[in-house]
Amino acid sequence: MNSYGKAAIGIMTTFFIIIFSTVLMPMYVFNPKATGHGNDYVATKDGDAHRGRQIYVREGCFYCHSQFTRLQDRGYGPLVRAGDYYKDNDQTYETPHVLGTARTGPDLTNEGGRMSSEWQKAHLVEPRAVKPGSIMPSFSYLNDQDMNDLVTYIQSLGNMRKVQHFVQAPDEYRDTTELGQKLLARKTVDTNSSSAANAGRGIFTQNCAVCHGLEGYGNGPNAITLEKKPANFSRPFYQQYPDDFWFYRVSEGVPGTRMPRFGEVLTEEQRWYLVAYLKTLPKDKEVVIDNIDQLDKVPPIRLPKLSEQQYEPHTGG
Amino acid sequence: MLEAIFGSPLDTDIDKLPFVQRIAATLFSDQPGSASRNFFLSALWWSLLGMGAGLFAAAEFAMPDLVHNVPQLAMPHLRMWHVNGVAIGWLSMGYVGSMFYMVPSLCKTKLWSERLGNFTMWVWNILMVAALCTLLNGNTEGREYAELGAIIDVMVVIGLISVAMNIYMTLINRKVKKLYVSLWYFLGSLFWFPLVYIIGQRAFVALPGLNDAIVGWFYGHNILGMWFTTVGVGMMYYLLPRLTQAPLYSHGLSMLGFWGIALFYAPTGTHHILQSPAPEWLKAIAVISSIFLLVPVLTVLTNFFMTMRGKWGMVVTDLPLRFAVTSSIFYLITCVQGPFQATRWVNWYLHFSQWVVGHAHLALLGTFSFILTSSFYYCMPRLTGKNWHSQGMIRAHYWLKMLGFVLMMVSLTTAGLVQAAGWAFGIPVDQWSLQIRPYWFLRELSGVMILLGQIIFAYNTYKTLYSAAPAPEAGAKQIKPVEVRV
Repeated sequence: MNSYGKAAIGIMTTFFIIIFSTVLMPMYVFNPKATGHGNDYVATKDGDAHRGRQIYVREGCFYCHSQFTRLQDRGYGPLVRAGDYYKDNDQTYETPHVLGTARTGPDLTNEGGRMSSEWQKAHLVEPRAVKPGSIMPSFSYLNDQDMNDLVTYIQSLGNMRKVQHFVQAPDEYRDTTELGQKLLARKTVDTNSSSAANAGRGIFTQNCAVCHGLEGYGNGPNAITLEKKPANFSRPFYQQYPDDFWFYRVSEGVPGTRMPRFGEVLTEEQRWYLVAYLKTLPKDKEVVIDNIDQLDKVPPIRLPKLSEQQYEPHTGG
Repeated sequence: MLEAIFGSPLDTDIDKLPFVQRIAATLFSDQPGSASRNFFLSALWWSLLGMGAGLFAAAEFAMPDLVHNVPQLAMPHLRMWHVNGVAIGWLSMGYVGSMFYMVPSLCKTKLWSERLGNFTMWVWNILMVAALCTLLNGNTEGREYAELGAIIDVMVVIGLISVAMNIYMTLINRKVKKLYVSLWYFLGSLFWFPLVYIIGQRAFVALPGLNDAIVGWFYGHNILGMWFTTVGVGMMYYLLPRLTQAPLYSHGLSMLGFWGIALFYAPTGTHHILQSPAPEWLKAIAVISSIFLLVPVLTVLTNFFMTMRGKWGMVVTDLPLRFAVTSSIFYLITCVQGPFQATRWVNWYLHFSQWVVGHAHLALLGTFSFILTSSFYYCMPRLTGKNWHSQGMIRAHYWLKMLGFVLMMVSLTTAGLVQAAGWAFGIPVDQWSLQIRPYWFLRELSGVMILLGQIIFAYNTYKTLYSAAPAPEAGAKQIKPVEVRV
């Protein structure tokens, strides 16, 4: 056999060894057990999640939204395991995979239940109306059935993975590290007491109300100038914030927004008082002020009529 | 039977044939070089549509409310078509055109069957039309890089197999004994890519969960590694010595590079899902192979750059060479970037961001689109015997494409770093998405430049082929069509 024949055999052997080791072998060796936390795509009266998944694929959502949480991700719920892609409902694994390869938008592994279906629908039709900074395309062309199925699918994502908190402060604010333990040891304020909350109210009025509004509805006078609107603390979402997360947000601000790092302005004690007050703000239903009649209006201050003599006495007159 | 359809091959006067045979003889011409030329021209056509879709999608990143209520122009649909249009249309068709020119030239013989070549060309064009219509309507299999539907997949496989058949038969008829290294790359690619494509499409099977992702990324990476890279490098091996009139620096090094790529490229796919719950041993194989890829890449580039010794000045006047050299320099950058991105600690930070999109464009646009353009500029005059209509337009094309690409790379990389920081520090998406808006606009601008360059390229090609030859410019070499002696 000439050398080219040997080379051809070499190429074929190499190629098939690689196919065997990276394509065939995983198919036989890698069979993750179902964890029982997979998504259960059942049809409800609102829509069919199975069909919703097909629409998710058809509309190419997975190009910008991933569906696997990573160790370093904060605020996207528990880490997925290989067996989480098993659908208990019909005893099969999800296919085609929608792991995703880029995150131009957030991860959707545990998206279900995070927002109301009305919000999801509004967001699909007119993303910028509910999320000003978003660059998501508008999917207003979906018909009602497609839209309902898609929203049902989104709402079923991660429903079996129950979590207490979606967000966590970085380690240095939590009692899992030495730094965090020292921080908590220095804390003297009882953040659950109403007296501490009352003390925090004054600090809130002086520092926060200008953007967040006197009652924390995110409607302070500065809010109108900000593209990223200040948080509306009446949202029920904030009920799940633990103390350390409030403290972290107040201390370090919110990157990407105009929220400053109050750690540089307020002492630790003042910030704990503030936390005590902020914890009292979330309500069971979000309060949205979109009408001037809803506001507690204070009559504008009118100055007494002054004569020029009274107004500018030094000019003589 | 063939004669019944096409008429006698010696019957050169097409006009005298009956109608059906005349049409058949026109569509499936057996003119030497016609298959290669038709493939090149189709590639150019699809590049305009593919890149145009990319530009439009980029515009929707910068201005998300640009289009409402038109599903065909929604960003995800445009993206599917953009990827398939440039990968299967522009690059792959151009590659086939290049191989149809280069392989006969290296074998000192004719292409085995121009008719089969033209038949392949029509199959490929029809499947591209089908891809355009289906993908823009969202008829997708939902697997990244393998979006095409089952029927179109079958057509691609038919196309690839008939190309392989044509090239292998040409090789058997060769008049030289020794195979130049380009042929190794072409023949290897035509052996393994149809198999990779069949595995990767998963058209008639449904693989469970993560296994689908593993096979998906085996394909997603190997359409690059076992097709675009291997054929593209083969083209560089052909073009650089031809254009510089210098012998290849080392045949031994080129063999080392070939075997290195064949061995280390294929198992790297899993590095795309390095942080998913895929099996760790597979990730380890992927990362190690990715790093080992530095060996063949640096070998290949050493060979190229040593071949260029003392000839670097030629890029000033020789425009195809300028494209080829730019391509090899981008190849160096992309292949140094790639292995580092595949390591766990870099991937930890950069994954999911636009940095990766920039890297993908560095490979496919910066490297392989440039080498294909070089090949186009080199082969087309030799296939048709016509000199380029305007050297100035080639220059304009080069600078628009080069500067546009650099701008794209810079804007995507910067946007990627901002995004990566956002993910690493747990900042919610809607808080950093405004920060990268300027880079979406820059990317849009870069797209305009690249597409403008491509339009100039297409116009130049049109004028070259379909208008009277201009007086040769001073300094430009007169090119004669290749005469293949059999």
